Amino acid sequence: MKKNIRIKVNDEWLDIEVEHRRTLLQVIREDLNLLGTKKMCDMGECGSCTVLMDGRAVNSCLILAVDADGKSIETIEGVAREGVLHPIQEEFVAKGAIQCGFCTPGMILTTKAFLSSHPAPSDQEIRKAISGNFCRCTGYERIVDAIGSAATRLQDKKE
Amino acid sequence: MKPFELHEPKTVKEACGLLQKFGAKGRALAGGTDLLVLLKQRRLDLSHVVNLKRIRGLDRLTFNRKKGLTVGSLVTWTELLEFEPVREFYPLLYNAAETLGSEQIRNVATLAGNICHASPAANGPIPLLLYGAQCETKSAKGDRALPIEKIFRGVQKSALRRDEILTMIQIPLPPPRMKDRFIKYSMRKAMDLGAVNIGVLVATKDGRFGDTRIALGAVAPKPFRAKRAERVLTGKSVSEERIWQAAETAARECSPITDVRASKEYRLEMVKQLTFRAIKDCAVVAL
Repeated sequence: MKKNIRIKVNDEWLDIEVEHRRTLLQVIREDLNLLGTKKMCDMGECGSCTVLMDGRAVNSCLILAVDADGKSIETIEGVAREGVLHPIQEEFVAKGAIQCGFCTPGMILTTKAFLSSHPAPSDQEIRKAISGNFCRCTGYERIVDAIGSAATRLQDKKE
Repeated sequence: MKPFELHEPKTVKEACGLLQKFGAKGRALAGGTDLLVLLKQRRLDLSHVVNLKRIRGLDRLTFNRKKGLTVGSLVTWTELLEFEPVREFYPLLYNAAETLGSEQIRNVATLAGNICHASPAANGPIPLLLYGAQCETKSAKGDRALPIEKIFRGVQKSALRRDEILTMIQIPLPPPRMKDRFIKYSMRKAMDLGAVNIGVLVATKDGRFGDTRIALGAVAPKPFRAKRAERVLTGKSVSEERIWQAAETAARECSPITDVRASKEYRLEMVKQLTFRAIKDCAVVAL
């Protein structure tokens, strides 16, 4: 059983036909060929499938594609603008917060949503904010560091 | 997931009609953070999913001092966290919300879904049991108003019939000046179920316990109020000895199991220790 949906992905409106049982993650990776969003646990535990839906971080593996109808989706591919990295991405690179890179897209999107509502977070708040994104490589320290400096940079940008 | 047909009714009445038609082969979908996992793991065999999210009015979240908090069944945990009256008047519900899952889950998962899934270790039941919430349900056969205690029947078993939809949860305002503590005792700081969940709501006056409420989760097939333990305290003078007696009574009201999170012996001991601490903290603050 299929339905036609209209979703905005990284600022572009798309009309696609999806089977009812397909998740947003499947559509992003398999139909739209946007492979930056990762499939790992496929059950909302690891956060590697995190995308922003209407500005909020969600596990795309637990969203039915049909429920994204009419919504705006941002994937990691939409974070850099015309080849220019977002400050969050730059700080992740600068602070060595990326090892294998598998958790990184999810981490960056969670961070983007978080910083837009918490521009000057404490360390504790940052750690809580990323508690839905697992990293097996880094031990999180450099990630928390990167998010803290990204917050400062984004604040400075505003002034 | 196995293929299913998704239905998107515009009204509760339509949704109930569909659920009645599909029987065991159909289920309602709200946030989906429990349902989709069950479907992916093939622990549920459904041919039909009835999406509630196109129904207007189910996302209602309002507060007034007379009726208290009205939570529609599509209200997400994030919406509860961002609604000022929750933080101000229902701190136990706020605590339950902030310790649940992750940001990604809270943005999508609903309080109603948490209740309907009826996991004994769920966060939602604890504040609802303490605040004495009422659940409104609708079905083709009529409407019901169930006190929250009646909703839980067993592990992942709720009192809702197949064709019934929980539409709204009404949470009365707690009496003023009650002290509260919510403890989700889990092995991890996030993304975990409690091995033991404890909530207390305590009134004291002139060195005596008044209305004293204790809710326990993850230590029996259902989350519940430890009524015998409550009776040890209500109306009696505040003392550590009495609080300890209540904690031991609470432990005797439990029937925990041994599982991956904890042994039943550990759970029993933690019920004692944490109930004691929670009530003592409330009593000390109140005195």
